[in-house]
Amino acid sequence: MTAEESLRPAWSQHFTPDAIKELSAAGPLAKITPSWAWGGSTGKGIRVAVVDSGVEYDHPALEGCVRGGVIIEYDSRAENNYRVKADPKPADLSGHGTACAGIIHSIAPEAEIYSVRVLGRNMAGRVIQFAAGLDWTIENNMQVVNLSLSTALEEFFGLFHDLTDQAYFKNINLISAVNNIPEPSYPSLFSSVISVAAHDGQDPFTYYYNPTPPVEFGAPGIDVNVAWNRKQYLTCTGNSFAAPHIAGITALIRAKHPDLTPFQIKTVLMACASNPRR
Amino acid sequence: MIPNDDFAEEKLAAQLRRLLVSIEASRHAVLPASNDALLKSIVETAAKIFGAAAASLLLVNEEEEALEFKVAFGPGDHDLVGTKFPYDKGIAGYVFMTGQPIATSNVREDKRFDQEFAKSTGYIPNSILATPLISSDDRIIGVMEVLDKIDEAAFDMRDMELMALFAQQAALAIDQSQQTETITETLIHGLRRLADEDGNSAELSDALKNSLGGIVSFAEIMELADLFHDISQLGEAERRACLQVLRVFSEYRKSHSRRFR
Repeated sequence: MTAEESLRPAWSQHFTPDAIKELSAAGPLAKITPSWAWGGSTGKGIRVAVVDSGVEYDHPALEGCVRGGVIIEYDSRAENNYRVKADPKPADLSGHGTACAGIIHSIAPEAEIYSVRVLGRNMAGRVIQFAAGLDWTIENNMQVVNLSLSTALEEFFGLFHDLTDQAYFKNINLISAVNNIPEPSYPSLFSSVISVAAHDGQDPFTYYYNPTPPVEFGAPGIDVNVAWNRKQYLTCTGNSFAAPHIAGITALIRAKHPDLTPFQIKTVLMACASNPRR
Repeated sequence: MIPNDDFAEEKLAAQLRRLLVSIEASRHAVLPASNDALLKSIVETAAKIFGAAAASLLLVNEEEEALEFKVAFGPGDHDLVGTKFPYDKGIAGYVFMTGQPIATSNVREDKRFDQEFAKSTGYIPNSILATPLISSDDRIIGVMEVLDKIDEAAFDMRDMELMALFAQQAALAIDQSQQTETITETLIHGLRRLADEDGNSAELSDALKNSLGGIVSFAEIMELADLFHDISQLGEAERRACLQVLRVFSEYRKSHSRRFR
């Protein structure tokens, strides 16, 4: 491998204009269209968790869609090293969670958003908080979970594998942003999640399917205008902002077709992507 | 960092392990000529590679739970070095908390974005690309930022991914350099403490300090650290025997004025 090749971006290169593969949606798959999948849906009643830095519940861009939340705190004296605190009026430490929630709300305006704050000042607890937050979403009947976070630590492979399987079997769609750093990370590369990288389009409903996983979907994530904490807005770039687009569309599909299971949702998403030829 | 009195041998062992893992990951040891010079060259190189008007590097200050500016390159750099941010504040705080890079633009229009801080430096950037510095054992040791892409409105996805690769190498170098400095201090402290415990303290510990103070080579420090680690793993009798040897050596040296070569 030459130095030039080794410096190629790892995940988003599948979604540059030259790299997007034209696919065919044959047979019954061709009949699955965006208008069938989510036409007329507002995501009404779908519980969407944002596992992140918190969500600013009263940000004007969210129009009151935040229904509650929890804070997962690291505590070395507690059982399993963490504590869960109710957070009925969530705040956002950095702005990032509010950005994700804002994207989801702009696509699925009647989805109910829950803030699961797993970031804090204590670095030792970082991954434990994240795993505990994911566990909370599974135990509390969330239906769509946005994970714009991941870990590269090999020792957590098993834990996240188990959690994502539990979510899959409980009919929960986990939407995971792949790491912006080109190296393996969990849970974004597991097949039980929907993994998303960024492409540079702006239309929120234009997304692509990549037939050569691990990264399966590309959604807008470059220079996206997002809500930020303290009632502000910012233009941001990162795979983090691509995942909530797919989370929002997933909420629309689930609201319209409540019986679909995670693998069926993934199939519908693939069939409605912008690159299959009909 | 001066190790405090509850210094434990495990701490040194842990630091050594960390350093060795880091050397293994980067396939070479960085000679810690000067931590500051290393940081400066990393930041200047980053600015050049990514076509940025300015760049800066913040390292974790664990005692104050803050990110501290260590190097700043470009307009407004004079006031930045030494400035501290809490872990959970702003763009750098987000990058630190998540370990994920982020690129933003239109910063100047965003009223939230550290306007007061930026104004105080006399420099408000328009676009920022911030990337975590992650050590080989997945600790986040700091954040590197490049500011204002020249000739472009913003940093793109490709910049972000390349910067991540660059930061990976930079983090390995910084981590090793920091740990070598820490290990030298810890090692001297540890040996002195060992001597103190032996009861026969002041003289021996001074001698140790003098003889260790002159060590400059990284290889020597590593060798000593390795030996010290081994000795700390042995039993009481071996430890005493080792101290005996050191004491004899120390006395011998005092009686001979010339330095060993």
